[in-house]
Amino acid sequence: MHIPDGYISPQTAGGLWALVVPAWYAAGYKVRRTLDARQAPLIAIGAAFTFIIMMFNIPLPGGTTGHAVGGTIVAIVIGPWAAVIAVSVALAIQALFFGDGGILALGANCFNIGFILPVTGYLTYRLIARGAAEGSARRWIAAGVGGWTGLNLAALLTAVVFGLQGELYTAADGSALYSPYGLATAIPAMMVPHLAVAGVVEAVMTSLVYIFLQRTNPALLQNYKTARAGGESRFELRPLIIGLALLLVCTPIGLLATGTAWGEWGADEVADEVGYVPEGMDRYAGAWTGLLPDYGFPAGEEGESLGEGAAETAGVVSVDAARKSAPAYLVSGVVGLALASVAALLSARFLFRGRQEGNRG
Amino acid sequence: MADGGMLPAWMTERPGGFEPGGPDRAVRQSALARTLLGLGRLARDTIYSEKVAARPGLMQGVDPRVKVAGVLVLLLLASLLRHWYLVLGLYLVSVAMAAAASIPAWFFMKRVWMFIPLFAAVIALPSIFNVVRDGDPLWVIWDFGGEVRLGPWSLGTSLAITQQGVRGAVMLVLRVAASVSLGVLLALTTRWNELLRALRVFHVPRLFVLILSMTYRYIFLLLAMATEMFTARASRMVGPASPREDRRFLAAGMGALLGKSHALSEEVYAAMVSRGFDGEPVTASRFRTAAADWVWLASTATLALSLLAGDRIIG
Amino acid sequence: MADMAAKNADAPLFLVEDVHFSYEGAPALAGATLSVERGERVALLGANGSGKSTLLKMLDGLLFPDRGRIGFMGQELSEATLRLDSFSREFRRRVGFVFQNADAQLFSPTVRDEVAFGPLHLGLPDDEVERRVEDTIHILGLGHLKERAPYHLSGGEKKRVALASVLAINPDVLLFDEPTAGLDPKTSSFLVSLAGDLHEAGKTIITATQDLSIVGDIADRALVMGEDHRLAGEGPPAAVLADRELLLRANLIHDHPHRHGGVEHYHPHSHVEGHEHGH
Repeated sequence: MHIPDGYISPQTAGGLWALVVPAWYAAGYKVRRTLDARQAPLIAIGAAFTFIIMMFNIPLPGGTTGHAVGGTIVAIVIGPWAAVIAVSVALAIQALFFGDGGILALGANCFNIGFILPVTGYLTYRLIARGAAEGSARRWIAAGVGGWTGLNLAALLTAVVFGLQGELYTAADGSALYSPYGLATAIPAMMVPHLAVAGVVEAVMTSLVYIFLQRTNPALLQNYKTARAGGESRFELRPLIIGLALLLVCTPIGLLATGTAWGEWGADEVADEVGYVPEGMDRYAGAWTGLLPDYGFPAGEEGESLGEGAAETAGVVSVDAARKSAPAYLVSGVVGLALASVAALLSARFLFRGRQEGNRG
Repeated sequence: MADGGMLPAWMTERPGGFEPGGPDRAVRQSALARTLLGLGRLARDTIYSEKVAARPGLMQGVDPRVKVAGVLVLLLLASLLRHWYLVLGLYLVSVAMAAAASIPAWFFMKRVWMFIPLFAAVIALPSIFNVVRDGDPLWVIWDFGGEVRLGPWSLGTSLAITQQGVRGAVMLVLRVAASVSLGVLLALTTRWNELLRALRVFHVPRLFVLILSMTYRYIFLLLAMATEMFTARASRMVGPASPREDRRFLAAGMGALLGKSHALSEEVYAAMVSRGFDGEPVTASRFRTAAADWVWLASTATLALSLLAGDRIIG
Repeated sequence: MADMAAKNADAPLFLVEDVHFSYEGAPALAGATLSVERGERVALLGANGSGKSTLLKMLDGLLFPDRGRIGFMGQELSEATLRLDSFSREFRRRVGFVFQNADAQLFSPTVRDEVAFGPLHLGLPDDEVERRVEDTIHILGLGHLKERAPYHLSGGEKKRVALASVLAINPDVLLFDEPTAGLDPKTSSFLVSLAGDLHEAGKTIITATQDLSIVGDIADRALVMGEDHRLAGEGPPAAVLADRELLLRANLIHDHPHRHGGVEHYHPHSHVEGHEHGH
């Protein structure tokens, strides 16, 4: 799921840097407030742990192997904010010290895998595990579902980032400048294997590690709770949830807006900044103004489906969408919006419960 | 000790001659063995890059801050150029820089091409066909002789490799290769503690640099622990374990590793504090930007600007 | 100010008063009281879990008592005082700690960096750092390992690098936690004789150990930590080692069955007799 350099345009990379830096600052601020200085090694350990277990080959049915990210289990043990820093650090070390994974794309990778994955994974875990006894099955199930959800949301965002390249950045002759696939291809191509395989690996491993810790080292699973109780301020989930919900809602909207915003911005400023305008930008700047009222799916453009899951989510969209991808864009946006709404709904429910608990305590 | 003292009887039984028998199964390389290999490779790579970074060479001599800035400029360039031959040129520049840093060329190229650009090639492959991405046919593989429909989907009138598809795929692979090449060059020629200090100069927050520095250290402690754990398991294994068993073992390993490393973290932190660590990494070699550094940066910038200008002039 | 100085001159190097400490409910120290004077050589004896490592970490200002207090040259050693830059820098320059687990102590890319870490972080000038690194590496015979990564050294080499990393700070007080555990006899005896040289140079040496065979060589006074996490006895090494009842009580020696000519019997066994002295 790592995006290497070269797959995405510098503009996209820059945009994701702009998203991840505030997330880091928020995490740093939260960690400083909730964990004292002695907890710094804990985060480092979480990072080193993530780094190492990404190297563990997990046997999959059929004789192949995959690997887990471990973001959710790390978030459960050291807390979501600390996990944001830990996973980001692991990614940074891969990129900077080992030359694996992109340096310009590090912002994108840290946002998807370092921020979205552990935070949504942890929220899902908390949501399902709420009120369950420490040693109960509901807790490890919650951990597994958390792992699955976190990984797939991160994969979805990564797919959107990839897909935007095919949509927006093409040379004059129509050849791709970066990743060649549009959203309609990138999303199913990423999501089918992640929903069915990588997410399941993450879920199984997260659950198995959780069960192991329940049996052998339950104190470690309480570690974050203890640290929170010891810190001066109670860990506040509300701002996190509100921020995340906003973000999830805004991301697809932002993507929908990208066509216009970037297109227009591109014509004026990109030319000054970078010296050229990506052709895709110009195209969309025009396409979008007239899109929403009366754009339908032109007949006979539906491409091949990549699988059942894809058929449901994006099957109506043609695969060679690069040239007429406005509807694909819309569908992707709607799918994203729907997913985000579900996440927001869940978050709201969680928030409501949190408030109830707050009133009681 | 003829009767074995406190030992149970079975422990004092001695085996006869060494005569392995029975049907032998060929042992498939297990996930465990692959993990062990991977962990070993990481350790080996690290030792190697530490050696390279300590060698005298053009890249090693450059001030890390200047080097990071220069590599960033070139990376940006790698993603801005629009002509494949210019990207190829940039890649060759990075290979030349590696040679100037006394990195063996075969090693450097292998390290770069395995596996990210190769993977990019596989990823980009479908996009060269007209059924996936539209374009002017370069080579028609199969003329359907009319529009072929698959239910509601149209496959067009022929299967062809397109000009645009090939150009896009070549572009992607070259861009990725040039970028990875530059990244690996930076990683190989810069000692990690100097890189950390360079990051500090780029206003990466203190908390991050501190954690980054500690993580790097922990990775090797965990690496040793994991390797030990897996080696112990591998030595006790008779024949291949089922994937299910392997998964359970790996999960238990992860859990145990998490617990052990947590305990260790406190100790390492104590050892650092005891020797005066207060969160600010200090390195022995002070940064001294010499004239050579500026020459290096200036030539990098000139190269970047001229390539970019060329790219835009060509159109 | 003058008052303070006078007080400091008289105060013992370390003064531990009724210190209590527990890890998540498990007691490690329960009312430990002792003092150490400047230039002394002290051995801290105790079985696993008796709290001697915890006490050593407290003397290095790495852990702080739940109850009771620890004084260093007349000033309190607490989280608050160590948070002060000037105090902590001065304290860290004076007190060095050689950890039992050398792996925890070695985290730099090369031996040279590892040895330079302390002096650099304590703010010594570059040329002084360089000189100290060279000298320390030389006296510990690590010259050929200078550019090697610490995590790929043998156990004995790691221990020597750990020692070098502390000696480069040139501390006045050296705290050793189980210095000979897991070492080959050669490294072990090297360590003991080096500790002797350091003592002769006027340094205070405090060693926590359960290796009774080295006590006579590394200490002029032995303190015994009991199973109850407080001081069980103290005295000159010879007297403490001769006090079988005390050592048995502290679980430092044990009875175990031996067979002589087919007759099984029990007699107390300690590592004093079990080991040859390595020098």
